[in-house]
Amino acid sequence: MYTNRKYYEPYVGPFDPCPPIRVKSYSTPPNLYMGFQPPGLEQYSAREALYRGTLWKALCDPYRSKREE
Amino acid sequence: MANKQLPKAYYELLEELQACDFVLVELTLYLDTHPNDYEAIEQFNEYAKMRKQLKKRYEKEYGPLQQYGNSYSSYPWNWDDTPWPWQV
Repeated sequence: MYTNRKYYEPYVGPFDPCPPIRVKSYSTPPNLYMGFQPPGLEQYSAREALYRGTLWKALCDPYRSKREE
Repeated sequence: MANKQLPKAYYELLEELQACDFVLVELTLYLDTHPNDYEAIEQFNEYAKMRKQLKKRYEKEYGPLQQYGNSYSSYPWNWDDTPWPWQV
């Protein structure tokens, strides 16, 4: 399933002090994939937009914890 | 007078005003880069009109919202009465 979260494998050396984290991930913002915003995108209601911090559904990117995603 | 408690309706009206302002900010930023998006401009004017009505309603009940001529003053001069915006 397509997601904004990207994964990479950091280098794990023989002398690492702590147990290695094999795969690390980071989330990328939706506007990277949109380029120039097209007109007429779907919107939230005024109050919902105030809570979510953006007017357009496509650009909403809350800090979801990794477990939820 | 003692500690003047604000009615619940005050907070609902203020939140409505905030939501309206937020939409206007978003649309302003959007329209800066999309000057000929007709629906967005229509929506912007619609929300601007709604904001004026909300401001009128607010000022009728709770006194001036802004200063320096942005709001009419009631009598006596009371814009500096408590509660201040950060106290609300």
